Amino acid sequence: MSLTLALSKGKLLSGAEAFWRRAGLPFPDAAGRRLVVLVGGVRFLFVKDMDVPTYVEYGVADCGIAGRDVLLETAADVLEPLDLGFGRCRLVVAAPRGREFDYRRAGAIRIATKYPRVAATHFLERGISAEVVRVHGSVELAPGLGLADGIVDVVETGRTLEENGLVPVEEVAASSARLIVNRASQHARREELQALLGTLRRVVADGVEAVR
Amino acid sequence: MNGNVHTRVQVPPGVQCFVGPEARRRRRIEDRVLGVFEGWSYEEIIPPLFDYADVFPEDLAARTYSFVGRDGSLLALRPDFTSLLAKIAAGRLLDRPAPIRLFYSGEVLRYEPPKAGRQSELYQMGCELLGAKSLDADAEVLAVAAECLEAVGARGFVLSLGHVGVFSALAAEAGLDSGRVEALRERIESKDEAGVREVLRGAAGPESQAALERLAALSDDVSRIDEAKAAVAGSRGASLALEELQGVIAALQHAGLGEHLALDLGEVRGLGYYTGLVFRAYAPGLGFEVASGGRYDHLLARFGRPLPAVGFMLGLDRLALLLERQGEDNVPEQPPADLVAGASVGDRLRAALEQRRAGARVRLANGRGPK
Repeated sequence: MSLTLALSKGKLLSGAEAFWRRAGLPFPDAAGRRLVVLVGGVRFLFVKDMDVPTYVEYGVADCGIAGRDVLLETAADVLEPLDLGFGRCRLVVAAPRGREFDYRRAGAIRIATKYPRVAATHFLERGISAEVVRVHGSVELAPGLGLADGIVDVVETGRTLEENGLVPVEEVAASSARLIVNRASQHARREELQALLGTLRRVVADGVEAVR
Repeated sequence: MNGNVHTRVQVPPGVQCFVGPEARRRRRIEDRVLGVFEGWSYEEIIPPLFDYADVFPEDLAARTYSFVGRDGSLLALRPDFTSLLAKIAAGRLLDRPAPIRLFYSGEVLRYEPPKAGRQSELYQMGCELLGAKSLDADAEVLAVAAECLEAVGARGFVLSLGHVGVFSALAAEAGLDSGRVEALRERIESKDEAGVREVLRGAAGPESQAALERLAALSDDVSRIDEAKAAVAGSRGASLALEELQGVIAALQHAGLGEHLALDLGEVRGLGYYTGLVFRAYAPGLGFEVASGGRYDHLLARFGRPLPAVGFMLGLDRLALLLERQGEDNVPEQPPADLVAGASVGDRLRAALEQRRAGARVRLANGRGPK
């Protein structure tokens, strides 16, 4: 049976493809829009980014690529043996410029986010009861429209925040793409997974060298 | 759906119901596993369904169905069997000399979102070996686990072995505070070397750091235990733990179970509960473990009878799922039933009783009742 790899159709897809090509590993051509593709003995599964950890946790896929942000949000029980280094971003709390809330004075705050679990935990750990409003997109609009006092979201350059009059108030976590592995596959498919991991590790190491 | 409005047949989330062939399939798995426990001279205990809430481990408290008894005491539906067995061993069985071999089979209840083959009702079958020499007991319990998996027909299973002493010693020697130990444990459990580095940044010496990073990565063939020993050579505690583990592995290899073993030193769940060997069983076809266990030498002292202990449990729900995935789930055939007819109810019953006494399976040709 071939190894199954779950990939996000979203923002990590181009990074994953570039990484795979650099590693000299076959990758499905973007032309097709099929969701399950067999290439070079590996079955690629294209799913939504928040679903990648689920497919891997249940063992439907032996491994996958997921952002640390998504792993924090889904809290899936998977192995994360390798930081692939691409897709770097930060999960931050952001608020409207000039209306940055002060934790010590805030009685209750309302936060709009695509990451309800991460947001709730973040504020609870600081002794703050936040009302977390789950939205599925255009999070940056929420404060300006009066839906929330602030947001928890990922930022790469910070430009989207700026365009919407928001500033980062606090970092929640740093994120990047991770190779994740199913706990059972770790043993059942040990040799194949270690070979893959070895190849990917070399690319990561080369990348670090190149930056130096 | 919300509040108290639900239809009469709606079920609350997390409960299960098995009918006919499904129930038979589960019963058969259970029979085989319990047969193995009995074959190794373990004795069955049927513990109570609820007990005082403080009997059960604190880390399960948030997931426990607890309630207040008539006398105001806090009670809990059992979220776990091991604590109950430990309590019984320290109470009812106090006069019983060690070693004591016990097994159980039944449901535990936990508030748990249905996930990864888990419902709120979990059917667990397990055994505990109390008060026996560590090496012998660890090896015995692993052999029993292997036989259980073989007996139910699980193919290609792996017992993945670790030892919490390795991590505990390294973390203690690195002088980390408890918050950082937990963060580190969590990252090692995920085999995230980069995360381990992150947690340890500026907090540990280079030697501890290197050893802990290796721990995260060391999941492999048992032959790599020597490499692990070299990696933790600077730590007496970790080295001793690995020697213990090596002893267990050697015994199992000698007994012909070597092909089922794997090494996983990143196995650091349940710290504070487990004190030595920890293991989980996996098999191809299922993405999560079907059995897990380990050594818990401090638990019985809580009940006033300090005895070392080791045990494991198999999840019936997950075993059933695994066997189905592996195509081993064929329900045993039942003998055909004889249709018993007769002029009157009395005639039919008399004939049926006669055939039953002769060992036949019968089915009464009753008429259909009114609606």
